[in-house]
Amino acid sequence: MPMAPASRGDVDVWDRSEMEPRIRHILERTVRLRDTGPYRPKSDAEVMAMLSTFFAAKGLEEFSISDVERMSGGASKEQFAFTLNHREDQQGERLVLRMDPLEAIAQTCRGREGEIQSIMGNHMPVAPVRWFDADGDLLGQPAVILGFVRGVTQPSEGGSAGVSGMGGRLGSLIDRLAPQYIDALAVTHRFDWSRAHLRFFDAPRAQSNQAAIWQVNWWSQVWWDCLVEPVPVVALAERWLRENAPVCDRPMLVHGDLRMGNFMFEEPSGKFTAVLDWELAHIGDFHEDIAWTMQKLFGAWGDDGIFLVSGLLPRDDFITQYEAASGNRIDPVRLHYYEVLNAYKCAVMDLGQAMRAATASNNHQEVVLTWLGSAGAVFLNYIVQLIRKG
Amino acid sequence: MLPSIDLRIANIVKALEQVVLPALTARERLAKDQVNLCIGHLQMIAQQWRWAAAFEAGSFHAMIALAEEMQPSVDASYAEELGQAIATAKAVEGHDLAAVEHAIVALGGLIDRIILGEDGQVALAPAIWEAVLSYGEKQSLRERTWFAATGLDPDRKELPSIAEVMAG
Repeated sequence: MPMAPASRGDVDVWDRSEMEPRIRHILERTVRLRDTGPYRPKSDAEVMAMLSTFFAAKGLEEFSISDVERMSGGASKEQFAFTLNHREDQQGERLVLRMDPLEAIAQTCRGREGEIQSIMGNHMPVAPVRWFDADGDLLGQPAVILGFVRGVTQPSEGGSAGVSGMGGRLGSLIDRLAPQYIDALAVTHRFDWSRAHLRFFDAPRAQSNQAAIWQVNWWSQVWWDCLVEPVPVVALAERWLRENAPVCDRPMLVHGDLRMGNFMFEEPSGKFTAVLDWELAHIGDFHEDIAWTMQKLFGAWGDDGIFLVSGLLPRDDFITQYEAASGNRIDPVRLHYYEVLNAYKCAVMDLGQAMRAATASNNHQEVVLTWLGSAGAVFLNYIVQLIRKG
Repeated sequence: MLPSIDLRIANIVKALEQVVLPALTARERLAKDQVNLCIGHLQMIAQQWRWAAAFEAGSFHAMIALAEEMQPSVDASYAEELGQAIATAKAVEGHDLAAVEHAIVALGGLIDRIILGEDGQVALAPAIWEAVLSYGEKQSLRERTWFAATGLDPDRKELPSIAEVMAG
């Protein structure tokens, strides 16, 4: 897959074939496998058997797998912690198996996640990637195996947050966490992807609307592939996003889901230990990350009644500090576009992919999907307000 | 009806809270999370079930009203099909939940096609943009209210009660 930006020029905003090839592969695989469900949560014994087959194929000798423990959290992947010992590592390491159920709230690629997280480990704290199986050839289902990282994504006391780490309050840790969080965003966007020889990623053209249209085509295809019930505002948003697609001057690495729920830190120090969940990472417009983290659902109201982006800073302060840390100038028009795109993405996940996965019984925690799906109207309301704001 | 739906929901919630949850060990974090969400869903269903058919019928009527508002401004190529779809929708019995859900899919599918205009080939009149936004604003308020008990909506304190929405 070529990574060098090609020639200049916009793409046809209605050309649905304009999509990153690996994303197309994942979406087509989802539809192809959908009817092979329902998915049953894996037992500890099944996980042991899968891992044994995998490590044998990887050539590990005298290995043992112990202390398998199902993990909670997240709305997407089925996760187990376990300890691996083998001849080269007698002491053993605590690891996390993060694998795809048949369908989740977001259908993504473990190869992309493993690849980018592995590389970004050279630039910032992330959970170290030990192995990944992009198409599930050895494990039976796509998965990534990560080193276990200690920390929390919300204060253990007084930081009440909802499902999937949304809407938490950070209290006295704000001053310590805010600069680290902004720095993580800036480091992500400064990363020189063009020299990274990425196998699982393609890059949209610079000085073109291709970055935006690739995203619109990704998420609109998810919507139409998953459609359970028509929602006129979702169709209207798709049309608006196509007709208003902005040029991206210089594509950058976009994390795609950076919010406090994916930002792990130690207590009581507040020292940042890992940026989690790189599954939505792609090369695109950095405004997408800024707009994502600014979403109201991921923020919190301060005691003084001022809304805090990601529970950390008022919006204007957040922008000022990000611009200073990254050197990137935020364009309000593009930021507005990506606020609509992100509200659209979230509506598609909640009312499209989550509902389809739950209807088909293709996940390990449908009760979470229907809980999160009930927030779909929050995003429909944002779409209306944002499009009206123009 | 004996036992009533409210009583049965309350009994299930009590069993989950007082028997099932305490029986789970600290290691069973996902199971605990899911039981807590089951309790949350049940408590929400207890608030909603009396209104469910009326709520869905209200959503359906709002969609029919949107279709009617779009009618004068749609491209001529859609006019006849939209007229027929509105007539078909109006013939659906409002108390038959399955029929209403099916009709929402049928009428909504045509509205989607009109909005997308055969992938941009057919222009969308400004009046239709506004009609869909206005419909979206009202419908999202109803749905946010319906699911406010999840606590996910950052502006839930501004929402009316389900009874107020249904009266409204």
